[in-house]
Amino acid sequence: MGVVHGQEMVLNIGPQHPATHGVLRLQVKTDGEVISEITPYLGYLHRCFEKHCENVTYEQVIPFTDRCDYLASMTMNFGYVVAVEKLMDIKVNDRVQHIRVIMAELQRIASHLLATGVFGLDLGAFTPFLHMLRDRERIIDLFEMTCGARLLYNYMWVGGLSHDLPKGFVEATLNFLDYFEPKIDEFENLLGHNKIFVERTADIGIMPAEVAINFGVTGPNLRASGVNWDLRKDDPYSIYDKFDFNVPVGQGIKGTVGDSWDRFYVRLQEIRESVKIVRQAIDQLPKDGDVHQSMPKKIRPPKGSIYSRTESPRGDLGYYIESDGSDTPSRLKMRSPAFTALGVLDEIAGGWLMSDVLAILGSLDIVLGEIDR
Amino acid sequence: MKRYFTDIYESVSSILGGMGITLMHLIKARNDNVTLQYPEEKWPRPERNIGFDHNSYNVIRSRLHVDMDDCIGCLKCERACPVDCIKIVTEKAPVRGEDLKEIKHKGITSNGTRKALVVTRFDIDMSECCYCNLCTYPCPEECIFMTGGPNAKKHPIDYEFSEPDRSDLIYRFAKKGAKEGLAEMNAKQEAEA
Repeated sequence: MGVVHGQEMVLNIGPQHPATHGVLRLQVKTDGEVISEITPYLGYLHRCFEKHCENVTYEQVIPFTDRCDYLASMTMNFGYVVAVEKLMDIKVNDRVQHIRVIMAELQRIASHLLATGVFGLDLGAFTPFLHMLRDRERIIDLFEMTCGARLLYNYMWVGGLSHDLPKGFVEATLNFLDYFEPKIDEFENLLGHNKIFVERTADIGIMPAEVAINFGVTGPNLRASGVNWDLRKDDPYSIYDKFDFNVPVGQGIKGTVGDSWDRFYVRLQEIRESVKIVRQAIDQLPKDGDVHQSMPKKIRPPKGSIYSRTESPRGDLGYYIESDGSDTPSRLKMRSPAFTALGVLDEIAGGWLMSDVLAILGSLDIVLGEIDR
Repeated sequence: MKRYFTDIYESVSSILGGMGITLMHLIKARNDNVTLQYPEEKWPRPERNIGFDHNSYNVIRSRLHVDMDDCIGCLKCERACPVDCIKIVTEKAPVRGEDLKEIKHKGITSNGTRKALVVTRFDIDMSECCYCNLCTYPCPEECIFMTGGPNAKKHPIDYEFSEPDRSDLIYRFAKKGAKEGLAEMNAKQEAEA
């Protein structure tokens, strides 16, 4: 923390604080209301994910990936199975690919709903939060219908899925999308254009594109800074190159490009794009195809290593797996997108007021389970 | 000056807009009510028919259950568990595939497999279980499952299983007294021989 001068005060936010989105301690140096320095202290949720993975087989890692980013478990599963399949050179059939995309995009909607809702909650807007959680609940019901679990799915397996889609899933999803699409406009009016919300977020915590790139920030936070970078478009994995969707970038409608409002708005726009992708994936969903078709009997990747990255709702999620030919990974490293987003906090939040720091932290949408692992 | 009035206009209009949405919900969304009076009312559970048997399988993950009459003690579920919450101890049966009435051991499973082992300990610590369902897939006799699973008729779905003490969440499925009974039988056999 360095030398504390006469009028400055060191203050701890957290670890038990609802606005830190988990167990995170922020040590802030304040001069009156103005923040001069922020040091995040992490590790309260450290569960030795990477070390633990070295002791369990490749299938058994999947439940642990669920528990890293517990708000977007499907995409965490997705990133891991894509990595192992690349390592083992497995091609999965079209039906599996489509179901995976549907699940990942539904999960993205659910995760962004929570992110934007909680962002409003941090700033004192309670009603939009309830509206968003009500609709997130419907997505979680769809997941429960598919695989039996509501948050921690273990649904995507190496070379396939644990179950095929249940009867009536397609109709239920289309019903949900029909119901949900008008609601996005409602959220936008309810929260996004609210004058109080705009005053609290526009022009606050501006992250210029150079800062975002230098800190390795990815996902909606990077796109809000005006950088058009989405792995689904720029480095397509699975079958994302088949779908037609836009990559929303921050335009600074209410303030400057890369402010907190832009980060909120990019997430809201991404929900619209995800709805588009889910609709296309359901249209193109092949009728036949066994979801267990290309599942290997025993997962023993050949000797070698792989780095594979996918676009999780929080950004560029990478898995580095080193295999020594046995049935357990000899090293597994996860590149967490939320970790880099937290790293930029000190850079962009310095000089703002105390109340703005929580707004900036909320707009970054961090999940501590993934940061600490 | 202009800024001052646009600010006032925007504040009033956006707040009125938000209030309007809330008002619409008050009027329109009666049947869309999401709050349930929990113990009296419950959410309907999704219906799901796919899996082992297309008519009776439900994927809901509520609680692990083992049909001990069908268990052959192959330890596949123990090996599949990522958190090691299943503990199994087996002993060799005196005669393969024969019922042992003293310890209520059944010799032949409902799939017709003749058992070579007697399971003397089958503990599942549900407070450690991570509900990943990985143990149910390798089972050759389909005897370990989440309740509400393949044998949904025998074991209805139940997800409210809080206990006052943590040790009450360790479910012991092995037949009571199997270990002692088996040792007694073996001793008797040795004495006869």
